[in-house]
This record gives sequence, C-alpha cells and structure tokens, in this order.
Amino acid sequence: MNLRVLLLCAGLVVTHLLLHVALGLGKVAPDLAVVALLLASRALGSAGGAATGFVLGLLEDAFSVVSFGANVFAMSVVGALAARTRELFVGDSIPFLAVFLVLGKWGRDVLVWVVSDSGSRVPFSDFVLMESPLLALYAAAAGLVARLIFARGSLSR
Amino acid sequence: MAGQPRESGEGRKRDFLLTAGIILGSLIVLNLPPGSQRSIQLFLRETVLSPLLEINGAIARMRERALDFNVLRAQMDSVTGLVAAGRTLAEENRQLREALGLSERERHQVRAATVIRTGTPGAESIFLLDAGSDDGVRPFNAVATEAGLLGQVQEVFSGRAVGFDWSHRDFRASAMTPDGRTYGLVEAVRGGFREQDRLILRGTAYLSDLSPGEELLTSGRGGTFPRGIRIGWVAEPAEASAGWSRSYYVDPAVYPGAATHALVYLDSVADTVAVEPDSAAGPGQADQR
Repeated sequence: MNLRVLLLCAGLVVTHLLLHVALGLGKVAPDLAVVALLLASRALGSAGGAATGFVLGLLEDAFSVVSFGANVFAMSVVGALAARTRELFVGDSIPFLAVFLVLGKWGRDVLVWVVSDSGSRVPFSDFVLMESPLLALYAAAAGLVARLIFARGSLSR
Repeated sequence: MAGQPRESGEGRKRDFLLTAGIILGSLIVLNLPPGSQRSIQLFLRETVLSPLLEINGAIARMRERALDFNVLRAQMDSVTGLVAAGRTLAEENRQLREALGLSERERHQVRAATVIRTGTPGAESIFLLDAGSDDGVRPFNAVATEAGLLGQVQEVFSGRAVGFDWSHRDFRASAMTPDGRTYGLVEAVRGGFREQDRLILRGTAYLSDLSPGEELLTSGRGGTFPRGIRIGWVAEPAEASAGWSRSYYVDPAVYPGAATHALVYLDSVADTVAVEPDSAAGPGQADQR
C-alpha cells in the first residue's frame, strides 16, 4: 500500500469515527469506514483486507448491544472479497470504483442483516432492498469525492 | 479489464489460510458469551473510542448551554409555580398519611447526567451516560428527561453507564392513566424503518376506552420505574382481542435522538404497594408507599 492510499484510508476512518461516534450523526453521515476498507483491501490483499475489516468491525461493534460481532464478520468478509477483485479487475476508473463501492457497502449491509439477531433487525425488504442501496449510493458518492480530491491518479500504483 | 494474480502459489496459500483464520476469528467473536463481548466493548470504549466519546459529551453539554434563555426562564417559572402549589399538597398528604397510619412517602434520589448517543450501526436504541457506579447508578435504574421517560440503565461502569431507550425491543414499562382507572404494559413496536418505531399500550381492559391525547404515566408496578413519570399520550386504538383486552398506539413523550440531558433515578423502587412483613397493625392496614 502506498502512502497516498494509507493516508486517504486513515483519514476516512478518522472522519467516519468523528462523524458517527463524536458527533453521533448516524445515517446522516456516509459510511466512510466501508469506503476506507474497500480502498485499502485492493492494495493490501485478502489477509490484509480481512484483518482491516476485523479491526474496523470491532470499532463499529463497540456500541452494539444485540448483535455484537455482526460488523466484525461482515467487514472481514467484505475486506477479503474486495481484495480478490484486484485479481479480476485492474484499474481504478471512476465507473468501476463507483460500482465497487456501491456493491461493497450493500454487501456489507446484507451480511450484517444475515448474521444479526433476528429479533432486532428490520424487515429484509425495507432494509436490504430499500434503505441499504440508498446508503450504498451515498457512501459511494462520498468515497468518490474523497478519492478525487485527495488521491488523484491510480491507487494501485 | 481482467486482472492477474500477483502472488506466487505459496504466497496465495498463506494469504488464503490467514484470511480463513481471520474470518473464523470473526465468527468466534460473533458467538462469544455476552460477558466476554461486554469486556471487549468496554475495553474499546475506554481506550480507542474514549476521546471521541468525550467530544460527543462535550458537544451535548454545549448544546444544552445554547438553549434559549427565555425558554429556560419559562420552564423555571412553571416549575416554581408547581413547587409552590405542591407545598400545601405535601403538607395535606403528610397529615392524611399520619391520620391513616401510613408510612412516609418514598423519596427518589436522582442524578443528572449527559446523554451521549453514537451513530454506529447496531447502537440505534443505546445511549451512554456520563455517570456511573461512583455516582450510585445501578443497572435497571430509570432514566427520564424533563419531558418524560427515556429508558433504563443496563450496564454500569466507573464514570459511565450504558442504557437503552424505549425503542429497544426489551423495553417494557407498566403504565396507567393519571386517574389510575386504566393500567397496561407499554412496549416498543418496530416500524418499517427505525425512525417509525413507536410505543404500544397492551393489556388494558376490553371495556376501557382511552381517547386520543390521554396521558400515560408509569404506574410503579414491578418496581423498576418510579410511579408518575410521563410515558406519552394515547394516539389511536391498535388492536383488540375479542372480548378480552385492547391495545393503543402511544405517542412517546421523549424522542430519544433529541435527549441530551437526563435524570437517573438512583434507587430502584419497591412495588408501589407493599405490606410491612411484621406489621403490628391489624389486618388490612397496608404500608402504602
């Protein structure tokens, strides 16, 4: 991982924690932790991506009462799978990155829903098919803006 | 834009094993016993996330201080009026209790605390308080704001406590109308989205007929919530079990997301009607608290 990607991902994680934990903005703020995980995973490899996802998931789950570990599992899997995409797709074009971020965020939400406690989760159709895609678009847009502002050029260089 | 494997066979194998190990580890974390999960959460909250929680608390306190002085003055005037009117009532109550041989009414100690809410997934119904075991806070203490009941303390640590608000699936409170005619159990019902969560009053008598706008208070039954804290107002009938009971949707008095300051009722109260075990008084003379 080059310094640019490292700084971008670290900045996204710190911003995510500031927005969600320090300011408590919830869904008003985009999920920058997943964006950071997806960008970092393509530079780190499967194990690195899974480990990054594990750590970020633990931070997310620090306040979860009913489904502790759901984010740890989901982000570990997403980190590992995101790293595998570099063997299938090269390049960091904006369209590719947009689809990659949307699918990554949506996939993470689906995994969290699947392993969450059944008594505490909202209906599948409402969350996975309606709310989550919108949140994924929001996160992808924020990720693309951050990527264009702070890390122009190829990330895999 | 097909990619290519970047590692050798040995490297790929090692990477795969490491990845599998980490995912297995995440599954273990998911299935850890609740005690171990709480320990990990406490460690994270007290170390990495502690500065962020401090910032959250400081912002909540700043938001409180930014309240309009005129609003605060109006609230204080209302409270002053209520206290003045209550003095004579308290004296009348004391005299009546003395005449009936009832023990003195239980007083509740409260501790003011700042409500800290995080916006992380899975923490939607959870709040933190900047008061903990050092301040006398205990699990299951009631938490209320000036508007009404917010929730209940669940876990207590030194200097900090974690609670859930009324939107949590495990929240239950025994409720009554101010005149004490109708009793029931209030719990949260999940909306299509979390923002649509609301309360429902279940188990009221079938013949009870509550009209929209009627106030609901905690009844004190069960001993968890002190009697008389406002829960909300009846919104509309929800359902009826034929000839048996009725349910009503309730508009909550407190919207959890807006709460920045709360009072913790320190002592868990006993049931509101208790009989002294070795009462020397004759039968039927209960100790009404």
